[in-house]
Amino acid sequence: MATLAPERRTTAEAAKGVARRAVTGAALPALVASFAVGAIVLLSAGTNPLTGYEALFRGILLDTNLPYLAAAFAPILGMAVSFAIPLRMGEFNLGGDGQLVLGGITAAAVAIAIPDAGLAGYALAALAGAAAAALWAYLAVPLARFGRVPVIISTLLLGFPAVSFASYLARYPLTDKGTGIPQTPRLPDAMHLPSLPASAYVNLGLVVAVLILVAYWIVDARTATGLDLRTLGANLRFGEYVGINLNRRTSGALAASGAIAGLTGALIVAGPPYRFIDGALVAPGYTFTGVTVALIASGRPAGLLAGAMLFTALQVGGTGMERDVGIPRQLTAIIQASVVITFVLIVAVQAYRAKTRAGAR
Amino acid sequence: MNVFTLGFVAAVLIALAPVLLAALGGALCARVGVFNIGLEGQMLLGCFTAVAVSAKTGSALLGVAAAVVAGVLTAVILAVGSIRLRADPIVLAIGTNLLAVGLTGFLLRSLLGTSGTYSSPDLSGLGRLGDTWIGRVPVLGDVFASSSWVVVLSLLLVPALAFFLARHPAGLRLRGIGENPDAARSLGVNVNGYQQAAVLVAGGLCGLAGAQLALGNVQLFSEQMTAGRGWVAVVAVMLGRGRPGLVLAASVVFGAAEAFGFRLQGLGLPQQATDAAPYVITLIALIATSARWRRRPAAEPLPEPTAGSAVEPTGGAR
Amino acid sequence: MSDARVRLAGITKRFGPVVANDDVGLELRAGEVHAIVGENGAGKSTLMSVLYGSVRPDDGQILARGRGVTFGSPKDAIAAGIGMVHQHFQLFESLSVTDNVIYGAEPTRRGLLDRRAARARVATLVEEYGSTLDPAATVASLPMGLRQQVEIMKALYRGADVLILDEPTAVLTPAETALLFTSVRRLAERGTAIALVTHKLDEVMQVSDRVTVLRRGAVVASLATAATTPGKLAHLMTGRDIEAATNDAPHEPGAAVLEVTDLRASPVHVDRLTVRAGEIVGIAGVAGNGQSELVQAVVGLRSASGTVRIASADVSRADVRRRRAAGLAYVPEDRGAVGSARALSITENLAVGHFRTGWLKPARLREFAADLMRKHDVRGAGPDATVSSLSGGNAQKVVLARELEHRAPLLVAENPTQGVDIGAIEYIHRELLDYRAAGHGVLLVSNELSELIALADRVHVMVDGRFVAAFDRADLSEQRLGEAMTNAAEDAVTTALKPPDDPPAPPVRPTAAGTGDAGTDSAAGTGDAGTDSAAGTGDAGTGAAAAAPGAAHDSATTEGRPDGDARA
Repeated sequence: MATLAPERRTTAEAAKGVARRAVTGAALPALVASFAVGAIVLLSAGTNPLTGYEALFRGILLDTNLPYLAAAFAPILGMAVSFAIPLRMGEFNLGGDGQLVLGGITAAAVAIAIPDAGLAGYALAALAGAAAAALWAYLAVPLARFGRVPVIISTLLLGFPAVSFASYLARYPLTDKGTGIPQTPRLPDAMHLPSLPASAYVNLGLVVAVLILVAYWIVDARTATGLDLRTLGANLRFGEYVGINLNRRTSGALAASGAIAGLTGALIVAGPPYRFIDGALVAPGYTFTGVTVALIASGRPAGLLAGAMLFTALQVGGTGMERDVGIPRQLTAIIQASVVITFVLIVAVQAYRAKTRAGAR
Repeated sequence: MNVFTLGFVAAVLIALAPVLLAALGGALCARVGVFNIGLEGQMLLGCFTAVAVSAKTGSALLGVAAAVVAGVLTAVILAVGSIRLRADPIVLAIGTNLLAVGLTGFLLRSLLGTSGTYSSPDLSGLGRLGDTWIGRVPVLGDVFASSSWVVVLSLLLVPALAFFLARHPAGLRLRGIGENPDAARSLGVNVNGYQQAAVLVAGGLCGLAGAQLALGNVQLFSEQMTAGRGWVAVVAVMLGRGRPGLVLAASVVFGAAEAFGFRLQGLGLPQQATDAAPYVITLIALIATSARWRRRPAAEPLPEPTAGSAVEPTGGAR
Repeated sequence: MSDARVRLAGITKRFGPVVANDDVGLELRAGEVHAIVGENGAGKSTLMSVLYGSVRPDDGQILARGRGVTFGSPKDAIAAGIGMVHQHFQLFESLSVTDNVIYGAEPTRRGLLDRRAARARVATLVEEYGSTLDPAATVASLPMGLRQQVEIMKALYRGADVLILDEPTAVLTPAETALLFTSVRRLAERGTAIALVTHKLDEVMQVSDRVTVLRRGAVVASLATAATTPGKLAHLMTGRDIEAATNDAPHEPGAAVLEVTDLRASPVHVDRLTVRAGEIVGIAGVAGNGQSELVQAVVGLRSASGTVRIASADVSRADVRRRRAAGLAYVPEDRGAVGSARALSITENLAVGHFRTGWLKPARLREFAADLMRKHDVRGAGPDATVSSLSGGNAQKVVLARELEHRAPLLVAENPTQGVDIGAIEYIHRELLDYRAAGHGVLLVSNELSELIALADRVHVMVDGRFVAAFDRADLSEQRLGEAMTNAAEDAVTTALKPPDDPPAPPVRPTAAGTGDAGTDSAAGTGDAGTDSAAGTGDAGTGAAAAAPGAAHDSATTEGRPDGDARA
């Protein structure tokens, strides 16, 4: 038997281990730092940060706002899962808005075309919405493969025509004539998502969104597909080398991502006010809240759940804050963006500290 | 339909200028090995700052200067974060783009007291060259009729950047760093310094692009008014492989698409169709160009006797 | 002692718990070639990085011409007259030789690059060095030997009188190596102090005046080269006698597990390659001659024309997954970038590829991983730790364990012992021999001739993407393999350096082979003939496993070349 050299752990390797642990430990400091950034913004705008934050938390905790909270949770969670799936393999789908809108308008169009089909008809409409959005997101794959366009860019650019197209449909061919508002007619009553006992705003969509998360959780943790995606995300060349079909996995991840975004859009139009209104799906910023959640959770299922709760609360609180004390609700967008920025910075600094502590330069 | 008039050329020029300015910044970053996708946010902050300062001071020039400063300040996050601290540049860029949307939306309300779109008679625009002596010069007067001096500057920057890269010692160092940063480092060249400088300059150019968009192309600020132009600039950098002349060509494609869209709108096409046109055309241009590269692979140092065998690494959907 | 250019004293450098350099002293004198030898991980690279200012020592001092100095970065070392030629060349391939040389210290006129002055200065340097470099040539077009000269020019341009050469012969053909050593001796005669970092002891004996041996970060000996022998040095380096694994079982090949025909994937031009069950087939060659492209084409990571059959299945158009399913296992050269996902756990690294479908039970995966780790003696961490927490040797064992566990009929191993310590090398060699003994076939690509001589049943020599010679086990020797590489490579170099206005060479007729006068053509003609005819003989060599390099190569280019020496 050969004599083996003593085990060595190089510094860079030790540093990486620490960095991995840091990912879980950076979210909280990032959140605190971001509220500090928000406070600075408030101060510079001549507002007392305490007034602002008090209104923000009141907005979250106010009983009457709870239904809004629950209603916003489903689309945010959906968009978070949508962004997380390709993120797991190292790809960025920044076209969530387009896919969301495409899913919504397609579902609305199909539902209106088959007014007597009831809830089963709505299921069909939702599937059509998911399929349309999946196809749109999938377009990034041939664009990357044959056009060498990075997915992050193609998905984003494809979002603009999708939003324009849906806007066109809501204004002209599918418009609810006579209202003067760019919106489709109301969905037939039988297709409205049944409400949960809590409130009219809390409907079956919440259950569907949670089921989507659970499905993602299982695939991620317990299937070869999940292992493949994580492997590709950790090292693309390694993934190809062990025989993972990169093209198939990318196609699948993007189509699933688009489908979930589309389904989310379909769920929104089947809730109050039960129609597709131009701009209504994009304006609340579900997509980028989802992106924020997925990024700081590094796509991990448990993190998505916690993050979606937190950022839904922040968003609803922001609306309350605007109503109560007149501070623009964009403050929450600033806080969100700051969370993303400070999160990666903290992760980087922790990795750097770990490296210097271990003795490397 | 005669669209290729001097008036059309004039429309192309102002449509391409913001994209070109941002793309030149991106190209500088690309040459020094930094893939900068934070252009959109920096441009948007440039738009807002230009409008806000111009409205408060009544000076377009101050607005432009402030926009450049705002662009540079935003770029500091990227420069320090991704280059000095080695944080993930893509996530950081997504973060700054988001920050720009939130910050401009917030300040639009708290500073300018409106939401959606701000426009005011207090707002001093960049002015049109058509109203100066240039307007009386034949041909040139028509071409630059609606352009501002920033548009002219953007065009002049193309040969200037090309010359700088080719002939200035710092240009040589930048190109070397982009190709092999370790080699540059081993010769004692401050790689991080050059990269950070490039990102900051790109930030300034994006700020300038925003100023031209908000004070030159139009005279207003509206939420998310850059509408993806920063991303189109990223595509222009890719299309042009970081070379100023090719980046200009790519920007012309976008500018022509936008100007063409306006024309079609005048002919009764719905706005939504013409809104989407520039992005679709940009994507098609990107695909067409890379398809051409694929057919003509890079020349081998030694001639390959077996022609006809397709030599490409397989797969790779990125 | 007075002509000591640089003195390192008491240099200590720790990386966490690892002491890379422990109280190391070194003196580089003007006019002396000083070899620094040691195993992988003995601390040679760290010491040279300290000397070149890219690593700051924790303790100790550096004296340049007797004055104490501190190097904050390579810039300071360069200013102190120290130049370094890195093992992996630090060049800008798309730039010209001149731009590479002046980079970072450019001559300027009115603030702009002064290209005329730059070209003139580089031309002067090239002439003084006795080189054939064209200052206007693009580095990408140069062969490795000339690229190394560009590196040396860079150091000389900056006025270096201390030159560090880090494993300078790793990418050179034997002929290029000889040329380098001639130049190195000439530089030394002119008063340059040279530090030669290497692990090849014959080179130490050949070119150095003094030798310092490092072991586990410390100096174990520093002596005059004339006063020692390769055997003594080897014992000093390892501190023990290593019993090398060698292939001494009878060669009884079975059915073909790999059959490659007419493979073309620039620069690969291989007409026939066969690996049978129960044999190890080696591919020898200087790094960068198409070996990695050949491997990628065989495993399906690079598209190519021609046919590839693995265990009788035609997989010419198949992706990696289907080739693996047909019976392929693969240990890639770059275990960090290709062979593992360092941020994932050892369990995940071992499981991926083995659990392809259906539901995964975490407990089952961990058990599988723990089993493999026990079997292959992977030490230093548990199955849940990341691969990045393992040492190089153990990380390589994880890769090897995963691939061997496939028990695939064909194993492709690409420089499997690069950068691992001697103990692990021996372990890996035994594993490969066991794999052969179990009735599998192994395609072993290696830059280390000694590795091929120890293990391979047959060896193909690869130059410029082509097989130029083949040897049976009985005929293997470093000298023969080296000659085969040199002969073919010389022709290639000649071709590359051929002035562009030379008339095109007349085609060499097949009948010219063996007559002995075809080679008296112009240098350009021989070069072309070498490349062309090697293609025709590659498969002949494979099939017949020809004995002598001259015969396996082409008589038109090797035997029939009376002017061969004159051109070298």
